[in-house]
Amino acid sequence: MALPASWLLLLILITAIFVVWIVIRPGITATRGGKILAFVMLFLMPILCLGMGTSYHMERSKQTKFCLSCHEMEPFGKSLLVDDPGHLAAAHFQNHRVPAEDACFTCHTNYAMFGTFRAKMHGLKHVYVHYLGKPPAPEAIRLYDPFNNRECLHCHLGARSFEEGAVHTADPELLPAVKANKISCVSSGCHEVVHNVSTLGKEKVWQGGL
Amino acid sequence: MLSGDAMERRLQIAGILMLLGLLVEAFCLFWTRPIGFVLFLGIGGLMLALGVALYLLAVLSRQNPKV
Repeated sequence: MALPASWLLLLILITAIFVVWIVIRPGITATRGGKILAFVMLFLMPILCLGMGTSYHMERSKQTKFCLSCHEMEPFGKSLLVDDPGHLAAAHFQNHRVPAEDACFTCHTNYAMFGTFRAKMHGLKHVYVHYLGKPPAPEAIRLYDPFNNRECLHCHLGARSFEEGAVHTADPELLPAVKANKISCVSSGCHEVVHNVSTLGKEKVWQGGL
Repeated sequence: MLSGDAMERRLQIAGILMLLGLLVEAFCLFWTRPIGFVLFLGIGGLMLALGVALYLLAVLSRQNPKV
């Protein structure tokens, strides 16, 4: 649970005031009370600030606007506004099947152990490439691994529209194969249009988003 | 002005490192780009960690007064 920025700033400010006091008057740490104060302000509070701050930044980095703040991601943000229910990402975003404010993270995290950590490590690599490398053209950007059905099933498993959908149940072998990740949800003939960044200019755009 | 006492001087340097780290952290709170996150952890976190380590070093290396 992340603190709001104003509380975090207050925490940092209080810590900084006491640290300044100790820096100016280090002699106060000679007393018993001073030693306790130094322990709290030079050990506990900095760790608390770092921990709370990291939590705050982690939460903020899940936001759609955070992901779209890099220009490489702008076309992917625009693809969420395509006015066509056949476009998977757009349909999810516009109908709030994923939280609109965390849309990218909801689908592109890894719902396995350390999934968020892995997503953030990929994010660090993106920052490196953005500032120090040569970012690929948006249409050349690919996922690190093929999209795992586990990410879709995190929400859709057990849902009536998924379990009893006409297309899903037409072939009795389809759903078990999808659940076992043997047939991808985004494979050809299924939900294959996800982020259509190469054809964005030709698509009708919904005006209500972002 | 740094103190002449070694223990107090270490505490002062630890405090200065922490102040720099806290300053970076406060600044990065308002920087909503991914680089803000990297600087928060890479610079702010590193300075805080160094400050805490120096404080612990100062405490652990302090000689016990003779009874």
